[in-house]
Amino acid sequence: MTDQEAGRADRVVMRDIRKRYGMVDALRGVTLRVGPGEVVGLVGDNAAGKSTLMKVLAGAVVPDSGEIVFDGRPVAFASPKDARELGIEMVYQDLALCDDIDVAGNLFLGREPRRAGGMMLDVRRMHADARRHLDALNIRIPLTDIPVGGLSGGQRQAVAIARAVTFGPKLLILDEPTAALAVAEVETVLELIKTVSAQDVSVILITHRLQDLFRVCDRLCVMYEGTLRADLDARSTSLERLVSEIVAHDEEDKEGRRR
Amino acid sequence: MTPTKTATGAGTSRRVVTTRSARASAHIGRHAQTIAIAAVLVVLLIFFAFSADRFATTGNIFNLLRQIAPTLVVATAMTFVISTSGIDLSVGSTVALSGSLLAIVLQHGWNPTLALVAILALGALIGFVNGWFSSYQNIPPFIVTLAMLSIMRGTALRATEGYSTPIDGDLWIVQIGQGRIAGVPVPAILAVIIALVGWLVLTRTPFGRYVIGLGSNGESLRRAGVNTRKVGLTVYVLTGLAAAVAGVLIATRLSSGSSNAGSGFELEVITAVVLGGTSLFGGRASMLGTILGALTLGVIANGLVLLHVSPFYVQIVQGGILLLAIFANSKVWAKFGAIRK
Ligand SMILES: Nc1ncnc2c1ncn2[C@@H]1O[C@H](COP(=O)(O)OP(=O)(O)O)[C@@H](O)[C@H]1O
Ligand SMILES: [Mg+2]
Repeated sequence: MTDQEAGRADRVVMRDIRKRYGMVDALRGVTLRVGPGEVVGLVGDNAAGKSTLMKVLAGAVVPDSGEIVFDGRPVAFASPKDARELGIEMVYQDLALCDDIDVAGNLFLGREPRRAGGMMLDVRRMHADARRHLDALNIRIPLTDIPVGGLSGGQRQAVAIARAVTFGPKLLILDEPTAALAVAEVETVLELIKTVSAQDVSVILITHRLQDLFRVCDRLCVMYEGTLRADLDARSTSLERLVSEIVAHDEEDKEGRRR
Repeated sequence: MTPTKTATGAGTSRRVVTTRSARASAHIGRHAQTIAIAAVLVVLLIFFAFSADRFATTGNIFNLLRQIAPTLVVATAMTFVISTSGIDLSVGSTVALSGSLLAIVLQHGWNPTLALVAILALGALIGFVNGWFSSYQNIPPFIVTLAMLSIMRGTALRATEGYSTPIDGDLWIVQIGQGRIAGVPVPAILAVIIALVGWLVLTRTPFGRYVIGLGSNGESLRRAGVNTRKVGLTVYVLTGLAAAVAGVLIATRLSSGSSNAGSGFELEVITAVVLGGTSLFGGRASMLGTILGALTLGVIANGLVLLHVSPFYVQIVQGGILLLAIFANSKVWAKFGAIRK
């Protein structure tokens, strides 16, 4: 009994998360849980609050209220560093790269290999490791010493993904990671999600490619105007049902306004 | 025939070629201005060597190096500030305040070593205030440091009542400005060491990396878990400290602390940095460029004086150079780079 409970313990639980930007209620009390090794698809219209919710989980946005429990312990993130230290990695929708810094530099940004007692960058090791990590992920970027500002959209996205998966995360958040990728590269990312989730890494995937969700996700969570409206089992839900969950609220809302 | 040939299996190699050319053009874009300023410097050196008799003498070159030492010291620190897309306009006033206070406390009989440490600490504190307002309170550094410019100059004037204060030539501290080691002026040696350390920190340390990242895309750097506010504050502490060093160099060279020292100094420093190719929009920096930029300004000022051109023109020429450098920086060289801001 207790064993079973421990086995089913959630990797992360977000409870009643709220965030307001001036007049915009971005999050109006969202509760979301993800188990170890579970892949959760997060969908919803534009401006539903998906990115904001995930930024809260990654420590990039501090919520107005609500609580987060990670591996059974309540946590409060003052900065992305806190979340990173717990093993939460995120590929941001805008990628969050520094255009003037090279590929290896972006890959290791914030945790550069050092030498001379931590005072100096170990540039050589950085490039060698970057090469290794990119090759391991089948990412074709021939040179690690060019600024990422000069790369194509797909390459930039690949760098951002590599950065998130390379350092052994426990929870991987992917905010529209495949938007700029070619078909073959999307396949690679989907395979990657399957691989890491088999290794007990929890994944939250935001994407507009609904057909991808059914291929990798265990659960599908639908957001609507800052709330979580539906939590569906991916295996027993049809595409039609999912689409109607995403758009149905619009009609409800229109009727609500008409009244 | 040719199209089919290139189409078969050349996909990857073509991609590599494109990336290589992207790297080459990015490198050229990054270093174009440094190369250009080096060329300008060489042309100027040749020109003055032939037109001004005394220019190419060891004595004059050492004199020139001693003159630009304060500029180079502060320009090194300013390269960090500008790389974060910040600016520090208060350095000239800090030069005046630190030089004046140094002379005053020495006159009150302070131990020179203690006086030196106190003045450097004061410079760092001024920088801390600049950095706290700019980085932690998000007030534009342009406004913050402009206000500090006024406050520090006023404080210097109040402290000295507008007079300059002599420094006793027997104190060891005057050696900082006037001494020589193996014939080379101490200020020149200090400036070169500081510039080299600056280069090392900017290009080889995590801090230098974060300075570039902050100017390139601060929010990305923050999301990578870096304490961006601390980085943003530290660069102003560096300029404050460097300005105090410059104040000490100038006051000890002249054996007097004056509240009028360092007027227009911030402009000269910024010109040197921009001339060297560091982008005012942040993210791109060249410490070598800064060194060449400071040398170029020094050579122009020194050469024009030797040619008996009125010193008033020097200021006009320097302002013109700043305008031209910014123009080249944002319009001409940007075209070479792969990155468009
Ligand atoms: N930094 C911000 N400042 C102001 N409003 C914001 C900010 N971030 C998000 N918002 C607003 O919050 C709402 C949710 O945005 P977002 O989380 O990006 O939605 P999604 O990712 O689902 O498209 C939108 O109305 C957006 O305009
Ligand atoms: Mg979004």
